[in-house]
Amino acid sequence: MASTQRGAIFPAEGGGEGGVLDFIKQALGKGCFDAVLVPAKLSGSDSFTYSLIKDESLLKDTYPICPIMPVQGAKALSSLTGRGKGKKGIAALVRPCEVRATVELFKLGQVDLGNIFLISIDCPGALPLADWAKDPKKAEEAFSELLKGGASESLRPVCRICDKFSTTGGEDLHIGILGAKSGRIFLIPSSPKGKNILDCIGISVEEDISEWKDKVDRLTEERREKRRQAQKELEAKAVGLDKLLDVFSKCINCHNCMRVCPICYCRQCFFDSDNMKFAFEDYLRRAEMMGGLRLPPETLLFHLGRMLHMSLSCVSCGACEDACPTSIPVAQVFSLVGDKNQKEFDYVPGRSLNEPLPLRVYEEKEFEEVEQSYVETSAKQEAQDA
Amino acid sequence: MPKALKLNKGAEECGRELLRFLLEGEKVEGVFTLIKVDESGGVAYSLVTDPNVLEEAMPLFPLMPTSAAKVLSRLTLVEPASKPIAAVVRPCELRALTELIKRSQGSLKNLLFISSTCVGVYPLEMAVNGNIEEKLPQYWDAVKKGEIAADIRPACAACEHFMPYNADMTVALIGNKDVDKQCVIYLNTDKGEQFAAGIAGELAEGEVESEVIEGLRSKREAQKKKLFDELGIGDFDIQKVFEKCIGCHGCSKICPACYCHVCFFDSGGEEHDSNYYETELEKKGYVRVLPDPIFYQLVRLFHVSMSCVGCGLCADVCPVNIPLWAVALKTGEAVQKAFDYLPGRDIEEGLPITTFVPEGFAGAG
Repeated sequence: MASTQRGAIFPAEGGGEGGVLDFIKQALGKGCFDAVLVPAKLSGSDSFTYSLIKDESLLKDTYPICPIMPVQGAKALSSLTGRGKGKKGIAALVRPCEVRATVELFKLGQVDLGNIFLISIDCPGALPLADWAKDPKKAEEAFSELLKGGASESLRPVCRICDKFSTTGGEDLHIGILGAKSGRIFLIPSSPKGKNILDCIGISVEEDISEWKDKVDRLTEERREKRRQAQKELEAKAVGLDKLLDVFSKCINCHNCMRVCPICYCRQCFFDSDNMKFAFEDYLRRAEMMGGLRLPPETLLFHLGRMLHMSLSCVSCGACEDACPTSIPVAQVFSLVGDKNQKEFDYVPGRSLNEPLPLRVYEEKEFEEVEQSYVETSAKQEAQDA
Repeated sequence: MPKALKLNKGAEECGRELLRFLLEGEKVEGVFTLIKVDESGGVAYSLVTDPNVLEEAMPLFPLMPTSAAKVLSRLTLVEPASKPIAAVVRPCELRALTELIKRSQGSLKNLLFISSTCVGVYPLEMAVNGNIEEKLPQYWDAVKKGEIAADIRPACAACEHFMPYNADMTVALIGNKDVDKQCVIYLNTDKGEQFAAGIAGELAEGEVESEVIEGLRSKREAQKKKLFDELGIGDFDIQKVFEKCIGCHGCSKICPACYCHVCFFDSGGEEHDSNYYETELEKKGYVRVLPDPIFYQLVRLFHVSMSCVGCGLCADVCPVNIPLWAVALKTGEAVQKAFDYLPGRDIEEGLPITTFVPEGFAGAG
């Protein structure tokens, strides 16, 4: 349907972030929701923390467009609602990848979206956590330059090739900043809940916002091409057992990547459980088979296991790579694998709350090419070998 | 006075020679040491049973990819080693293992410990692009002179316990001016002497302590004070020091003293229901959503400070550079002093908090 993109136009005299905050202030004031979840620097802190805020006066210390991703927003929402929804309506101002991870956690039963309004904002990307930790002031200055149209080289590698930086379908309301003439932002409802907020503040959603849509489409196409290119280069370096072993050779088994991953929600990972503790004789036998055994022996297996468990829901948020102390390109490898697996199931994580997780859907006919029976394949081979 | 074995080989090769002798002579069934895993400075602890694989052994490579204590605990947790194993470990790793054994997390049975006078290791983040290899000449130069090697981790630069406690053999590095041509291995225990019997080398008697070592101890002590002062760790603001924490809990996962199967902070114990958030929101107008770094870090300090050996891995894995090594060391020293306890000094020395002393802290009661 090639109709004109419609949405609301909201004034943003003080720039994009200022516009977002004005909108939140208005909505809070009119009681459209009771509190907002947003990265903030509160009580004299110089660090960004997801905080739940109801006092308007504290909004000046919030950063809806945050230079870093200190904690994945979906994890924050899971902390907040994992034990059931509260009575208050909460607007969560998060990145598109955080919305998507939240939608996946919803499907996995780890968040309650009952009283949550998911609001995403066009995302400029985030800086590597390590760069910010080394020199917060310098990093934050570089980020404001970037927002003014500066070079994107300072962004995290996964952000530079992200093609889902705008509305993704899973949110209630999206805030468009891209393509906007100075002094305005766009509010695009994606669900009845989102529409209700705009009705509540009394703003028309019938404006023509094609300037935003055109810009998003153009940039998406650009980023898709960049992603294809980057993934092709990565494939040459990381695909195949030997190459994977090389990529993960520096892994020290700290499992930081798993701990910060919004999708890895298990209370106790299999790899930290007693299942992975073996008797001495067992280690010794394995060492003797190969002449030497790297310890702990499951370094690569851990990553493969994690991939198997979460890659269909991987939203390429990059939290894993940010937390890796040995600078392994974890997020780049995982999003490459994620993209491929998701394509096989025609699944886009976070696209819709109603789209079921592929592994929970029974299809009578599926992947028949890998479904050869024992009689047809192995039995024949065994007979020949005998 | 312990026996001292002199070999006419550089230190790293001397270490390999000793391991080869033990393995080829079937004195041990396996060797636990660092093995090269890639071409750009990556090493990993491995259990080696084939002497040929020892070509890749890097027993003294200045990187600590994880604590050997943690790995050896896992090797011997279900059952003790059934065959003799030679383990090359750093002094802090041996101390941490001793603490773990006191907490029933493994067994020393059948383990032969080879350690060295430790010069320290480089930060994990340097183990890329051959950065550590580039530093090696100046590292070995510092070894000879008994100085603090430039760019080693602050936890190492500030470490005073660089002489191994309870090692069966000690490779003497610090102050050895000919460390690239010649090495001396001290045989500290009868076990050490028995295992080394028959190796081709010159046997004498000697003392591993020296003026150079005493000098380095003073330098390290001064460095510790300097680093503590720079970080303001004597009188730090816990809110400020932990505020960057992202809640990955990597510090606990890597810490050799944190051995709990499921940490309280992963158990759901720290999770709140919506009622908590809404009450706090009403009271203050805002509430931080997890992580709660201060609660987590304080509980961790409370649990590990008695056994903290200052290995520095917590700081090494921190994605936001919190100087956790200094916080843990400072707190650990204070707690240990109060109980006149040094973690890892002696396997027979009971853990203060599990040893009943009738008059303990009577004044505080």
